[in-house]
Amino acid sequence: MAVTTEQIADAMYEMVKEVQGKKKLKAMDLTHAMIDRYGAEGCDKKMCKAAIRDLIDNDRCVYTYFGGSYIELPHEEGAASGG
Amino acid sequence: MSETNGKGSATPLLDELEKGDWPSFVTQIKEMAADGNEQCQQLLELLERSYREKIGHWKHGGIVGVHGYGGGVIGRYNDLPEEFPAIAHFHTLRVNMPTGWFYTSEVLRKICDIWDEHGSGLTNMHGSTGDIILLGTTTDELEPTFQALSEADFDLGGSGSDVRTPSACVGPARCEWACYDTLDLCNDLTQTFQDELHRPAFPYKFKFKCSGCPNDCVASIARSDMSIIGTWRDDIRIDQDEVRAYAEGGMNIERDICGNCPTKCMAWDGNELEIDNSNCVKCMHCINAMPKALRPGVDTGATILLGAKAPIVQGAQLSSVLIPFIKLEPPYQEIKDLAERIWDFWGEHGKNRERVGELMQRVGLGNFLEAIEVEPLPEMIAAPRDNPYVFYEEYYEEEDEEAEEEEPAAVP
Amino acid sequence: MDTQRRTDFGPPDFRRFLPPVIKDNYGKWKYHEILKPGVMVHVGEGGDKLFTVRAGSPRLLGTKRIRKYAELADKYCGGHLRFTSRHNVEFLLTDEANIDPLIKDLHDLGHPVGGIGPAISSIVHTQGWVHCHSAATDASGVVKAVMDDLHEYFDGTKQIPGKLRIALACCLNMCGAVHCSDIAILGVHRRPPKVQQGLNKVCEIPNVIAACPTAAIRPSTVDGNPSVEIDESLCMFCANCFSVCPALPMADALNDGVSIWVGGKVSNARSEPMFSKLAVPFIENEPPRWPTVVQAVRKIVEVWADGARPYERMGDFIERIGWPKFFKLTGIEFQKEHIDDYRYAGLSYKRSAQLRH
Repeated sequence: MAVTTEQIADAMYEMVKEVQGKKKLKAMDLTHAMIDRYGAEGCDKKMCKAAIRDLIDNDRCVYTYFGGSYIELPHEEGAASGG
Repeated sequence: MSETNGKGSATPLLDELEKGDWPSFVTQIKEMAADGNEQCQQLLELLERSYREKIGHWKHGGIVGVHGYGGGVIGRYNDLPEEFPAIAHFHTLRVNMPTGWFYTSEVLRKICDIWDEHGSGLTNMHGSTGDIILLGTTTDELEPTFQALSEADFDLGGSGSDVRTPSACVGPARCEWACYDTLDLCNDLTQTFQDELHRPAFPYKFKFKCSGCPNDCVASIARSDMSIIGTWRDDIRIDQDEVRAYAEGGMNIERDICGNCPTKCMAWDGNELEIDNSNCVKCMHCINAMPKALRPGVDTGATILLGAKAPIVQGAQLSSVLIPFIKLEPPYQEIKDLAERIWDFWGEHGKNRERVGELMQRVGLGNFLEAIEVEPLPEMIAAPRDNPYVFYEEYYEEEDEEAEEEEPAAVP
Repeated sequence: MDTQRRTDFGPPDFRRFLPPVIKDNYGKWKYHEILKPGVMVHVGEGGDKLFTVRAGSPRLLGTKRIRKYAELADKYCGGHLRFTSRHNVEFLLTDEANIDPLIKDLHDLGHPVGGIGPAISSIVHTQGWVHCHSAATDASGVVKAVMDDLHEYFDGTKQIPGKLRIALACCLNMCGAVHCSDIAILGVHRRPPKVQQGLNKVCEIPNVIAACPTAAIRPSTVDGNPSVEIDESLCMFCANCFSVCPALPMADALNDGVSIWVGGKVSNARSEPMFSKLAVPFIENEPPRWPTVVQAVRKIVEVWADGARPYERMGDFIERIGWPKFFKLTGIEFQKEHIDDYRYAGLSYKRSAQLRH
């Protein structure tokens, strides 16, 4: 099944949204999931990389770091709010 | 040095660290605080409090950064923001240094101008990985700082699960022992892997360090996932007159040079130094001791070793040999392809926060080599295994054997 | 989005900042000599000379001091300088007559000159209480106190048999990767993490549990909310859980402190690279000047300086005399904590560049 980078980005966004607050996803988790879903013929690592860049550059997702780098929905930093 | 005022100092403990002969970091912060720099003033007070309470007051921030990048900014907040509002946000920018840490006064001043305008004015020259560390600014200033840096041609370095800022020893710029161009390779890798450096896509960090000879001045064997250490495979160049000059100058060549050779491949008869180069392990000792008389050979290249790391998570490791000898010439395609194959396998199988060295241990070096398409070689080990628990992957059944014997008959 | 915004252009090319004498002799240096403490000359194949003056620095520098460095570089070096991997600053001169005036100016500014050849160079270190969230001790303060005590070994006032490299990391995350130093000072926690209320709001519990290398963290319920509990008997205080979850703080004023490790090296010269080994398991934090740490480091340095043969590094020296004698000479009490009880496989890998080609 051939898919576009935009479709991959949308599917990744939905994944991130679904687990926000419950589980943190890394770039490779998203990439693996997309290849599982669309098959290696329809969707390669390069397209996944482009889709992630698209999500970040368009402010739909942000990189976060908690002992490792993750991709999450933009949200307020816990540590920024006093106490 | 200390600037105590009449009312007694607000930082009596830190003042103690302005005494003594070594240059003081407290003096540095005070120098910057002197002209009403509130961030530095409050940093001094907060640090004084840590000294009193014996505990740090910083919290880790995990979200702040510049647009589009997942690395290069370390978020920091203090845990007493009401008392220390000027440093409630006090983030670090890691700025990729020029390879080899070379500067002109002009470019240094430019960095200072930017940081005086946008941050605390405090820096580390440099951080442990090698970046210029701009220490302390607010969230709002991150993007403008990056903008100003980029106008001065400075980009951010790595942080998080990405390629960390590669570093190199001084190399051919000022060292006769550089067995390859450490600066050019480091700069080339940095430029080639900009995407991997700024957009974290790995299980954890990945470091390249380029040392020009086995003295390893950037500690690559202890600190980098891929250690690239210069070496040679022909003969040490000898100037016998200069050897004799060292002897005449009082050097005990028999005891201190030949006696320290790890393979005892040298002999000194009082007139000539003889080296059995086939038995030399390129340790550098004799060359270090007699730089005017001995030099590395001319057939130079590097040994590539893999997997060094600090203790977190599974324990510290030194890098181990992957490629015993490789010639290193631009465009360095072989080493880049190798890195990509390693990242592919690591991305596929690595766990969160697992470094390449830990993955090598977990799957076994043999399996790891197979996955990255590198042949096993005896140079990779100190000794073959001493336990008999071999994981053979295949075995024959009775029928297979018969079928084979009856070849060319078709296997059922 | 700003269309002018540049990304991924990398650092400026280092070639822009090389002095002319380096451009002319790049890859063509013939030999070097140490002229005096902190001063060396590199001589090119064609006879060109480049003088280097190395000065110690506190690593944490304000822009005012960096501007002073720039002034000195303009005055003596045609504006050229560099830094070393151990935080030293190096001035690159072509006129030998400028060396002594430069050294005088550096001394006036409070910077010692030295750290080349058989000497103690600057201490590589981390941020500590100045800027780190996971520090078990301060970094800059301990380093300042230790170097105040040892500066004579930096500036050449006192002779030593070989190189001695000291490093400090303020927790065992080891941003400073100190584990292969002649002497390593390492901040350590000794109290298991204190589970904070509302942990499940800031951390994903499966990630927290997976972070523990000894499986000491288990799921639990606190006041009806999902949380974790710690099997304290399994905690080895690595703080990996705190790295992934800020609701598990490790820092504790009563229990934090430093340990001292000895005998590591990264160079392949003579012996292969080696890890530092535990010498002093724990010394409590004694701000502002950590006198017990300073004394312990000095004692170790003196035992080595007295007993080591020319060129012999700390690790080689200890290997030759044996650990029992090391403990006897330094007066450090050997205790249970010195004995390793954490297994790590893979010791048979070749961990050096010492090869026959």
